Amino acid sequence: MKRATQATETPQVGRSVPRLESWLKVTGKAEYVHNLRLPGMLYGKIFRSNIAHGRIKRIDVSAAQALAGVYRVVTGQDIRKIVPEPYYGPAFHDQPILALDKVRYVGEPVAVVLASDPHVAEEAVHLISAEYEELPAVYDEVEAMTSKAIVHDALKPAGTFPDLKYLKGKTNTNIALDFRLRRGDAGKALKGAERVFEHRFRTQQVMHTPLEPLVSVAESTERSLTIHTASQSPSFVRIEIARLLGWPENRIRVRVPFLGGGFGAKLYIKLEALVAVLSLLTKKPVKVSLTMEEQFFTITKHASTFRIRSGVTKGGRLVARDCEVWWNGGAYADIGPRVTQKSGFTAPGPYDVQDVSIDSYALYTNLPPAGALRGFGIPQLVWAYESHTDMIAREMGIDPIEFRRKNLLREGRPQATGTLMKDAALEKVLERLSVLMSWEKPIERGSGSIRRGRGIAIGFKACIANTTSLAAVNINADGSVTVYTSCVDMGQGSDTAMAQIAAEVLQVAAESVTVVHSDTDVTPFDMATLGSRSLFHSGNAVKLAAEDALQKIVQLKKELSLPADAAIADVFRKKYGMRAGSVTGTGSFIPPYTPPDENGQTDNATPFWMVGASGVEVEVDTETGRVKVTRLVNVADVGTPINPRVVETQLSGGAIMQLGFSLFEKMLFDEGGQLRNASLAEYKIPGFLDVPENIINEAVVAEQRNGPFGGKGVGETATFGVSPAIANAIHDAVGVRLTELPMTPEAVFMALQKK
Amino acid sequence: MRPFELLEPRTLREAIAALDSESARPMSGGTAVMLMMKAGVLRPSRLVSLRRLGLEGIQIKENSLSVGAMTTLRALEKSEVVRKGWPVIARTLRTLSNVRVRNVATLGGHLAHGDPHMDLPPLLSALGATVTIAGAAGERTSPVEALYRGYLDTTLKSGELITRVEVPALGRKRAAYLKCTTRSADDWPALGVAVVLDGDKPTIVVSAATDKPTRLASVEAAEGLQIESDLHGSAAYKKQLLRVYLKRAIDEARNASH
Amino acid sequence: MRRTIQFRLNGEAVEAQVAPHETLVEVLQESFGLYGARESCGQGLCGCCTLLVDGTAVSGCLYLATLVEGREVASIEENPEPDAVQEAFVERSAFQCGFCTPGFVLMTRQLLDEHPDPDDDTIRHYLAGNLCRCAAYPEIIEAVKLAARKRRNPG
Repeated sequence: MKRATQATETPQVGRSVPRLESWLKVTGKAEYVHNLRLPGMLYGKIFRSNIAHGRIKRIDVSAAQALAGVYRVVTGQDIRKIVPEPYYGPAFHDQPILALDKVRYVGEPVAVVLASDPHVAEEAVHLISAEYEELPAVYDEVEAMTSKAIVHDALKPAGTFPDLKYLKGKTNTNIALDFRLRRGDAGKALKGAERVFEHRFRTQQVMHTPLEPLVSVAESTERSLTIHTASQSPSFVRIEIARLLGWPENRIRVRVPFLGGGFGAKLYIKLEALVAVLSLLTKKPVKVSLTMEEQFFTITKHASTFRIRSGVTKGGRLVARDCEVWWNGGAYADIGPRVTQKSGFTAPGPYDVQDVSIDSYALYTNLPPAGALRGFGIPQLVWAYESHTDMIAREMGIDPIEFRRKNLLREGRPQATGTLMKDAALEKVLERLSVLMSWEKPIERGSGSIRRGRGIAIGFKACIANTTSLAAVNINADGSVTVYTSCVDMGQGSDTAMAQIAAEVLQVAAESVTVVHSDTDVTPFDMATLGSRSLFHSGNAVKLAAEDALQKIVQLKKELSLPADAAIADVFRKKYGMRAGSVTGTGSFIPPYTPPDENGQTDNATPFWMVGASGVEVEVDTETGRVKVTRLVNVADVGTPINPRVVETQLSGGAIMQLGFSLFEKMLFDEGGQLRNASLAEYKIPGFLDVPENIINEAVVAEQRNGPFGGKGVGETATFGVSPAIANAIHDAVGVRLTELPMTPEAVFMALQKK
Repeated sequence: MRPFELLEPRTLREAIAALDSESARPMSGGTAVMLMMKAGVLRPSRLVSLRRLGLEGIQIKENSLSVGAMTTLRALEKSEVVRKGWPVIARTLRTLSNVRVRNVATLGGHLAHGDPHMDLPPLLSALGATVTIAGAAGERTSPVEALYRGYLDTTLKSGELITRVEVPALGRKRAAYLKCTTRSADDWPALGVAVVLDGDKPTIVVSAATDKPTRLASVEAAEGLQIESDLHGSAAYKKQLLRVYLKRAIDEARNASH
Repeated sequence: MRRTIQFRLNGEAVEAQVAPHETLVEVLQESFGLYGARESCGQGLCGCCTLLVDGTAVSGCLYLATLVEGREVASIEENPEPDAVQEAFVERSAFQCGFCTPGFVLMTRQLLDEHPDPDDDTIRHYLAGNLCRCAAYPEIIEAVKLAARKRRNPG
């Protein structure tokens, strides 16, 4: 094995460094909590509610308990023995570890069977029975605004988000958050507008389906708890478990190896509180590993309804936008209120409109909870505003790209929050898309039953703010470098990016850097790996930590009267008498932020913007409504790409995932709130035969000046424009307009029939 | 899964004898059986594996294709005999489930399952294929078409096993099988249409949109078919698919060299 | 009722105690500590559980372990040195989270054994039974073609 690291002048950022964990992944040796087995471990299998809303009258676990091999059966009342107030959640403390007094959706966890043989546990689950007094249920987000079916008797904001405090104890409502933004006077501007357009759009509930289903393992002693979990937010898990148990954080350890996919599903608390308490109750290690089906009953993406109204001049300038968005949050709030607000404020789109009104509501319904899913509400909004914008352009006979050009927000102009646009290459992205789509040239329209068309869409996203990332970097006595970050690599290449950033500062080869995986006993606090925040926040923290370590070495050399170019090894030999030891640099990063006022106005809404546009060419089979995407072009502003190959594959992956949400994915429920397609046999995700043959992904030349080496996130960017680009292309091809997702062949065909 | 007994008899007689209760189930490739057991839909106390009965093999017998019931779908797909004499079968197999499934699933198991979304039942029905069935009472034959009563409901009696499948030579007949998926491309079809043309006379068998493979007396008869709405689409939409794919399947059959 | 079965695993003679209902994936994980094959969809649709039995790819999550008695089982762990397919996957960045990757590697080897110079259409159809939620599909096609070239020109 090669010793140490050679100093290098080769650039480490801007290089397509092969992912550090490549060999582990292609040989099947990468560590996932899915694979974890501990001696004496019990498996927990969950018994779930089969009604959508009801009071629990009785849970009968006697037959399950009596089955040979069953260790114990646990219900909410048992949980209370360890955690008297067992409610968790990042925005509301509304979700019980196991149901207490009420169930609020079909699939809600009600009891857990523990056994050392998972097959036995599974069998025993079938022997549990529960009786409920059924209550009226509500499933639709708009209906939930005024429905008599109330999901939560009283609201329980967590206090983590000060803007939610005022909701505490509120009763008789399903509205978890009512976000309001007013800029100028949209009502007046609309009244005076030369043309007014209003449309309504809907999106569906879908699920992330990471191929490693959610899984957590807990082991405990009287005084300590270790949770091995597939989580994107280990730091949050530690804080929340500490709060639930009333323990200090330093007695809880959260470990995360690799994730077999995340996409936002593995955030905040999912199974961690459950396994923690089960382990404390049994004094044994406990694993709860969900099946693919069970994931659908755990966390999903918000369905939505968006009513959007625009005032336009005869020449095609937008003068006002009035937006009303209803977000279907399901039975528990999870991070829904954040989606409602943080995405909500971009509802008018990346357009220069100074009279804007936004109302964005987070609703409780009796469906599986909705939370963060790649895009965090932005794809739903872009679906609406880019379809709407295109409809206006086409209705007015203005070229869709030209219309956008006329109205796009430029650098320095105020966005709906009043924040001035900075380092958001909207124009560049739009122009590049136009070139790649050969938009100036006409396309061949097809003949007979196959018609061809094309469409584009552009969207943007603010980053969650304001959030903290800490990092540490060790320079070891032999010159090798270790990075400590609680940023989680779920396949988006974060380990490699952090290594590249540290390597660039320290002038070593990125391939030689070791990135220590999240372990809250070791790696410092990181808000979470979500919302494309990590390259910017964790990356900045790692950069600061590396700079700090470097500075310490420089300082040491001065103290030890060594020349500036002295070898690292010599520094340690002189300081400690042998080539041993390390220098630790630390970095702490939280960008400036101004919270919005009561009108949603702030001069600093986000530390950076993401910009993503997509263009598609489609073939529509008018006899069957089947749509084939023959060409998919994704253009993005990712600042300066830290790893161009990773950027390309993130754009590609995000867009293909969004294709599934655009064309066929949908959770289908019956009238009793029972999910009918909870498995990959009936909930279809994109496979090889769904991938367009021609895909182009490009990042425009841009710089995010406050990002590490000019970089920023890319994980979600290619999800923004895909859905409306397809709807716009279908309209271009056959003149029908779909306003609901997914755009199934039947939906297209029925629209063609109506025409 | 509930524990069960797994038997691997070496003779057909032993196998049939082992299937002596409602709660005993034959297993060939095992994919369908495993899926149903994991879903809790099937809870047999005994599984009788058919893999040691020597029922594999592809032959020509008096111009007909004769296939042992335990022949895997993959063996069928790759067989030169099948590709030359019944290319429509090889073509259909290419998109039947996936390679791993085809590696273990058998022709007999496929035909005995009774799921109307499957591809070979309508195609083999249209081709006039027959099966040999062994049971406690002896052997009998049946047209493939007569195997199906409804959704997962076949005319195979308890304790009966398909041992052989025979497909008559195509002669101058031309055949096509088209299916249509409405969600992802690789999915159970919403509709399967098999067409065999003997001169101008079409034999049409429709499946997936119907609860079993269903012969249509004529193209016009499609309008009167009983079709249900489900996760793949509404009844009205599936009717439209049927109209379109009937026409396309007939065109494809016309243009087929075989 | 457990019984001992003997078979060959990755080239070695082994034995394991299996119950009738245990799948090949479960036995490989529990008795042999091999985690490259994983149960994900549980329905044979995603390919994460791909294993080879007598040289043929099967869905390990639907394969009763007891049926491999006397037969040859191979998993992603079978080769101590990376082969051309694994090299190609690394070079073309044909994975992201990596959970589906062993399945893709095993299926690609089978594909190239049968079709040494596959075109895109052949690749897509052969691998249609392997899902990647990270959607590394375009990179996987590149990797398969690169692996084919490497196999034809080793070294």
